[in-house]
Amino acid sequence: MKTLTSLLMAVVLCGCETVQPWERGILAKEEMQWQTNVSEAQLRNQIYASKEASSGGAGASGGGCGCN
Amino acid sequence: MERIEHTFKGMGGPCRLRLEVDTSAAADTAIAAAVAEVQRLELKYSRYLPDSLTSRINRAAGLGAPVPIDQETAALLNYANTVWRESAGLFDLTSGVLRRAWDFKSGRCPAQQELEKLLPLVGWERVQWDQDNVYLPERGMELDFGGCVKEYAADSAAAKLRQQGVSAALVDLAGDMAAIGVPEGTSGWPIGIRHPVSKEQAVARVLLPEGGLASSGDYERCIVIDGERYGHILHPRTGWPVRGLVAVSILAGQCLVAGSSATIAMLKPPGDALDWLENLGLPWLAIDADLVVHGTMA
Amino acid sequence: MSRPKDERNKTVLALTSSALLLPAYQGALADAQPEFTEVGMRYSKYDEDDILSRKAFGGGSERYEIDVAQFHLLAPVADQWSFALDVAWEDMSGASPWFVGESASGSPKVIMSGASIEDTRTEVSGTTRYYFDRGNAGLNYTYSDEDDYTSNAVAVDGAFNSEDGLTTYSAAVSTSHDDIDPTQGTIPTNTLSARKDVNSVWVGVSRIVSKRALVRFGLSYTYRDGFLTDPYKGDDRRPDERKEWAASAGYRHFFDAPNAALHVDYRYFNDDWDVQSHTVDIAWEQNLPQNFRVTPFIRYYTQHEAEFFYNLEDPSYEYFADDYRLSAFGAFSYGLRLRHDFGDWSINLDAERYKTDESWGIYSGEESPGLVDFWRYGIGLDYIFR
Repeated sequence: MKTLTSLLMAVVLCGCETVQPWERGILAKEEMQWQTNVSEAQLRNQIYASKEASSGGAGASGGGCGCN
Repeated sequence: MERIEHTFKGMGGPCRLRLEVDTSAAADTAIAAAVAEVQRLELKYSRYLPDSLTSRINRAAGLGAPVPIDQETAALLNYANTVWRESAGLFDLTSGVLRRAWDFKSGRCPAQQELEKLLPLVGWERVQWDQDNVYLPERGMELDFGGCVKEYAADSAAAKLRQQGVSAALVDLAGDMAAIGVPEGTSGWPIGIRHPVSKEQAVARVLLPEGGLASSGDYERCIVIDGERYGHILHPRTGWPVRGLVAVSILAGQCLVAGSSATIAMLKPPGDALDWLENLGLPWLAIDADLVVHGTMA
Repeated sequence: MSRPKDERNKTVLALTSSALLLPAYQGALADAQPEFTEVGMRYSKYDEDDILSRKAFGGGSERYEIDVAQFHLLAPVADQWSFALDVAWEDMSGASPWFVGESASGSPKVIMSGASIEDTRTEVSGTTRYYFDRGNAGLNYTYSDEDDYTSNAVAVDGAFNSEDGLTTYSAAVSTSHDDIDPTQGTIPTNTLSARKDVNSVWVGVSRIVSKRALVRFGLSYTYRDGFLTDPYKGDDRRPDERKEWAASAGYRHFFDAPNAALHVDYRYFNDDWDVQSHTVDIAWEQNLPQNFRVTPFIRYYTQHEAEFFYNLEDPSYEYFADDYRLSAFGAFSYGLRLRHDFGDWSINLDAERYKTDESWGIYSGEESPGLVDFWRYGIGLDYIFR
């Protein structure tokens, strides 16, 4: 798995073009962000983590709750 | 899509903003932010305003105490240093003092000794500057950001519009232009480059994609001595006007880079300038003293 | 006419790279201090489907319901700082699976706790963030309190951009100390008081692929230590340690013609309880005229059961859990978000359906009768003080 990830990473990183700062307007759009609605994403992740046996992955896990 | 146009006075000339927005409601704050940005830079760097940073730096020349500067000014000095180096000393922020001897309106030449008194005050290499301070070591020395602040202001105003969520706009500060995005359904902003003599006539029409377009040269502000035409751009080492090109327009990623490149081309002898422009690799247009048009945008 | 090719000439390169140090060219990515204060309020409802009578003793039963109110504030402070405050209030009620028993026909059935759970949770989270030339760093403190559970967590994170701004390296560490004091009520509990510590590290790298695409990869490790058993479940004996790994990848691509952005996220998870899982999240952010945006999304999740998951208890097991969360299953969820911006306001509506089934997973295992299906709805309103 880890080899696959690093292989994938190498392939993707080599395929990158140089994008000048003034050409990053589209990337700065709200709909291109990693999270578009922080409050909703927090709630979603909390619900999934309390109903499934997995959590984390997109940052360090924050505080806990005794969610049933 | 709505097209909105806003005109105002700034940087000593007529300015115009063109925006393409979904609703005009959001455009007002964006326009206000862009206009405020142009005014901020004018107040900060104009050498005509006694309270500007430029005036304070110039007043402190030779008095022994360096003037503290912010990060933006340090970056601007660093940029000016790069242009100075790349132009082999032709572009010099301290050459503005030479204008004291020249009055282009009168059509009269200054006496050589007048120029020789001023030439020792020119010399970027003597300016002491770092990230936090700048100091002009001799009384009478002057910094003049006029050669780059208008272009920088165009880029900076465009960046403000972008920060306000505007995705397509053109900032035009008296001919120095910066564009973000392109008008819907087109590949660029249509711009006519004015003929230096017959002002109503365009020498070229270009489509400006995201980036900047700057022009240098002003045919009217020239002087004719013994039948020879001299431009208003002064050579930093002789103090005499450069007998170079009449007008240069360049398209680049930023209006600032386009503007400095155009200025360097104006400072070179015409033959050298055309070769240099050719090698630059940026879209360009130049008009020589015989009003012959050269360049990839012609 | 062609676009300017700035890399052709060394003079242009020198001028450009020197110009880019000026502040006007720095703000192209959302890495700078926020310019304006923004506040948001959200109300969400989480509603589990009733458990089917064939899966529970005593007939069908209502399950869990949560009402959630969230408040969000993000404000620029001084020159290079920002402060964020997030508060969430949750009101939970309903029944949760208590334990699994064997029915007369031999199939496992769940015994519900009855409508005995009634709890409220308050979470307060504050983040200060410092922005410097090439990145930012944040410090977060989160406090969560409910009748039977208190959690204190601290997290530090940082992001650092490469000189060309094309690559961003990120890292975060967090530590949380939780106190569990189960409410003594109608159902007996496993413990009177216990503690749990969770420590986690994460590293990530994101990269600009083109003018329209971004990619990122992340790797996280979480170590849980202490009372990891569910205090309210009949017989539940879990190890007092859990080590988790997660690898994630994300991709964003903007399409000009439809004026839309594609989001694809994947996570692989693995722990020393023998749980493994794959998660795929896909969303399509479609801009519409008049400042509307509609976002359909789908998510697929599949997990391998924990090594000590069994429906029926045998006292010889060292560890045992009949918790459906540790069983093998697959889950599909799909939903829709609608957003409308008007002036300095923006309104969000969203709905999500989540369904589980043992047969949807790629890992086979004993099917738990306690698997959950739910609906989630939300409405949010945000305002920017320009």
